[in-house]
Amino acid sequence: MAERQKPPTLSLEKRVKSFEEVKGTYPPHQAIAEAARCLFCHDAPCNKECPAGIDIVKFIRRIKTKDFRSAIRTVRESNVLAGVCARICPTEKLCEKPCSATELVKPINIAALQRFVTDLEMREGIKLPKKAAPTGKKVAVIGSGPASLAAAAELAKAGHGVTIFEVKSLPGGVLTYGIPSYRLPKDVVMAEIDFIKQLGVEIRTDTPLDEKLNIGALFGQGFDAIFIGAGVGRPYFVRMPGEDLNGVYSALEFLSQVNLYQSEEKKEFPLRVGKRALVIGGGNVAMDAACSLLRLGAEKVHIVCLESFEEMPAFPSEIEFAKEEGVEFHPRSKPLKILGDSNGMVSGFEGIGIRWKEPGNFSPSNAIPIEGTEFSLEVETVIEAIGQGSDPSLAPILSGVKTTERGLILVDEEIHMTSREGVFAGGDIVNGGDTVARAIGEGKKAAEGISNYLKSSIKGES
Amino acid sequence: MSSEVNLSIELCGIKFANPFILSAGPPTDDVKMVKRAFEADWAGAILKTTSVENQVVELVYPMMAGLDFEDKKLIGLGNIDLISEHHIDEVEGRVAELKKEFPDRVVGTSIMGAKKEDWQTIVRRLEAAGVDLIECSFSCPQGSLGEKPGAMVAQDPKLTKTIVGWVKGAAKRAPVFIKITPQVADIVEIGQAVKEGGADGITASNTIPSLMGINLDTFEPYPTVDGKSSYSGLSGVAIKPITLRVIAELAKNVGIPISGTGGATTWQDVVEFMLVGAGNVQFCTAVMRNGYRIIDDLKDGLTNYLDDKGMSSPSELIGRTLPKLTVHDELSREYKVVAEVNRKTCVKDDLCYITCRDAGHEAIELDEERLPVIDEEKCVGCGLCVAICPVWDCVKLKKVEKKEKK
Ligand SMILES: Cc1cc2nc3c(=O)[nH]c(=O)nc-3n(C[C@H](O)[C@H](O)[C@H](O)COP(=O)(O)OP(=O)(O)OC[C@H]3O[C@@H](n4cnc5c(N)ncnc54)[C@H](O)[C@@H]3O)c2cc1C
Ligand SMILES: Cc1cc2nc3c(=O)[nH]c(=O)nc-3n(C[C@H](O)[C@H](O)[C@H](O)COP(=O)(O)O)c2cc1C
Ligand code: SF4
Ligand code: SF4
Ligand code: SF4
Repeated sequence: MAERQKPPTLSLEKRVKSFEEVKGTYPPHQAIAEAARCLFCHDAPCNKECPAGIDIVKFIRRIKTKDFRSAIRTVRESNVLAGVCARICPTEKLCEKPCSATELVKPINIAALQRFVTDLEMREGIKLPKKAAPTGKKVAVIGSGPASLAAAAELAKAGHGVTIFEVKSLPGGVLTYGIPSYRLPKDVVMAEIDFIKQLGVEIRTDTPLDEKLNIGALFGQGFDAIFIGAGVGRPYFVRMPGEDLNGVYSALEFLSQVNLYQSEEKKEFPLRVGKRALVIGGGNVAMDAACSLLRLGAEKVHIVCLESFEEMPAFPSEIEFAKEEGVEFHPRSKPLKILGDSNGMVSGFEGIGIRWKEPGNFSPSNAIPIEGTEFSLEVETVIEAIGQGSDPSLAPILSGVKTTERGLILVDEEIHMTSREGVFAGGDIVNGGDTVARAIGEGKKAAEGISNYLKSSIKGES
Repeated sequence: MSSEVNLSIELCGIKFANPFILSAGPPTDDVKMVKRAFEADWAGAILKTTSVENQVVELVYPMMAGLDFEDKKLIGLGNIDLISEHHIDEVEGRVAELKKEFPDRVVGTSIMGAKKEDWQTIVRRLEAAGVDLIECSFSCPQGSLGEKPGAMVAQDPKLTKTIVGWVKGAAKRAPVFIKITPQVADIVEIGQAVKEGGADGITASNTIPSLMGINLDTFEPYPTVDGKSSYSGLSGVAIKPITLRVIAELAKNVGIPISGTGGATTWQDVVEFMLVGAGNVQFCTAVMRNGYRIIDDLKDGLTNYLDDKGMSSPSELIGRTLPKLTVHDELSREYKVVAEVNRKTCVKDDLCYITCRDAGHEAIELDEERLPVIDEEKCVGCGLCVAICPVWDCVKLKKVEKKEKK
């Protein structure tokens, strides 16, 4: 069996110095070689693990037979953000996980093949699919992250009028303001959003849903159904002494600035990035923050987290990526306090080693400090990436919509309708925070639910 | 747009929903399986070769062996199968059943007889059952003609013409195709005999007699049946160039409808078969390897290709390459090309360098960066490096002015 094809990748020296995309696209011979490794399993296990519902085995077969047009169509018809996904899907826990080729050599590099196909497509411009005849129904979509974009695209294809309301000035949610461009270049995000606009979706940016423009008001404006894809945008903090010092940021705020900084040329970076910096947290957001700090010029970046390497929620590939770039990890450690200088600036950090009281429970309350393992670090910047949750300011918008204690929206799993009729939801605001592909899958499911709901109400009227 | 492309074609007055049909072989030897193939959208099937009830068909096992190359499995398949164990009494029922359930699919049947009476009986019974097309197997490599083992009807022009006459004498309605072997000195001679006998078309061609390999420990040939083997019929990717040549020769020199078979695996192969004159294309080994489902790849691929070419029907392809095939003497001696390397995409594996050094004209040197540099004085433009370079579009031939020899 042939080896798994590795796509062209920036060298380590080059990549840590810029926000240029690290991974490249397969040249055609590599794409065909990788496609030729696929075993074309009957009832393919990979297909079942793509949350966005791509017919993987089909598009790979089309690449193998050099029918790139059909490969493009196959990918695009189930995933309007296929170019995004090809870059940032954690494939090791999704489509590649059950791949039958794993035992032979290594799983098929499905994302790289998907990337090959979507990059080809971008060069020619994304072709618009057939749309159903207009139904005359109007749907309001709150937020413009992947869940909302996927829902909006499916609804537009089904012939409904769709309007997205987004509080920020650019659409895309985490794709635009979260994930750094060395993993996900913004022109890819914008090209796919443009395609969704061409499907007929109207996007109103700088337009927050709030107490005045709430769900009731939208129904009042004549919308027949509403989809909520507001994500989980409120960062959590450790709550320790020193958090009010200058130089302490949440990862979401920091990454948002990193992305804005990328889009506006040669502006000074507005946050304080010292020569030495610390990121608290063991998830992907922490990895993104740490590697972005290096690219902004930090010489030494530390990561402190409660978990051991095996326990960290970040994908193994992302941890490996950060290690390669020289990030120093302090696993199984708990933050104690942030130290400041006389000017109120961050100057250091103190932490302590921990063990778990109850094995397998990785919550902070289960961590027992181990005496004598106290340590301190000299740092000028501290970024907290310990998780995020639903924004409490959503509550007044959501009248009649049942939520969990943590403010996550409860939905019917099949059709994604909330407790309020005609109001649907999906993505992080429902699942608490997972992957882009899952947000897309849920957005698609909800769109189907909405279409069926609108159909039955059309019948009801006649 | 692809909506304008219509894949349906006509051959000898028979309408096919697309040019892809299943050839006589394991994928067509069971009625339930053929039904699944039709549901998958194969346009037709030639049921595996049948015979009269008293013909003895004794199979041996194992009957197949694969030809692998490096990490590629099954670039060829060898079989020592025989014709179907199912005789005409059973097959006529299958034909009727398939036609009833799938009236828009083409149901053909491959047949073989030992004497005139056998051939004619089978034809009459199949026509009565509603068969659309009859294909006569004149080329089973495991059969024997009288006392000559391995000999095939289609290696004997006279016999070919006689038997075609018998079959055509019995066939009142269904077109008759003769399936020939590429294993002859002059394919045109056989093609002519088929035509003179009055057949409606030729199925070109069939497996090629081969020896699949030998077990190095036991010295036993493959596929090994209790320590021994016989010569296999080779099919699959490996024989495609031979099939292409056979179809081209027949199309150029005989002028008779042709159904292509032998090595077709992808939609590109189908395009090629048609460009040299095939009216439709039969598949066996490709289906044995990857299942009926390949029909989806074939249909999509051909549709997109025709659309890109601005064509609306596959029949526009038929024979387009024939005027570009000529005898060696007539090829231009004024045409001069030299190799050219794309320095951006070259991965520096030195393959072109080695091949030109040891089997070409020592026209490639490696520069300080280990990139190949072509010496245009020495390069004769033989094309070997292009065939060897593993990178897509990296080494190409470019046209240059021919210099006068000093
Ligand atoms: C830094 C980071 C890196 C990540 N990396 C990956 C990765 O590599 N792979 C992966 O699969 N997943 C990754 N994720 C997770 C992934 O991004 C999310 O699961 C996904 O974006 C969820 O999509 P969504 O549409 O539900 O929400 P979001 O993308 O969060 O979008 C929500 C949108 O709603 C808007 N909004 C909120 N409230 C309102 C309101 N009141 N009115 C109007 N608009 C509002 C927000 O501004 C935002 O645009 C990452 C997340 C982060 C934070
Ligand atoms: C196992 C096997 C059995 C076959 N049996 C028959 C047969 O009964 N009659 C026949 O005309 N051809 C038979 N063939 C030949 C195929 O129909 C076909 O012409 C040949 O395999 C070349 O095409 P391919 O490369 O697409 O397989 C058989 C081929 C194989 C591999
Ligand atoms: S969308 Fe993501 S999960 Fe689905 S096939 Fe593509 S890379 Fe895999
Ligand atoms: S599981 Fe792996 S080998 Fe099987 S079809 Fe999917 S990608 Fe190909
Ligand atoms: S064979 Fe192709 S890739 Fe290899 S050295 Fe020659 S030009 Fe470069």
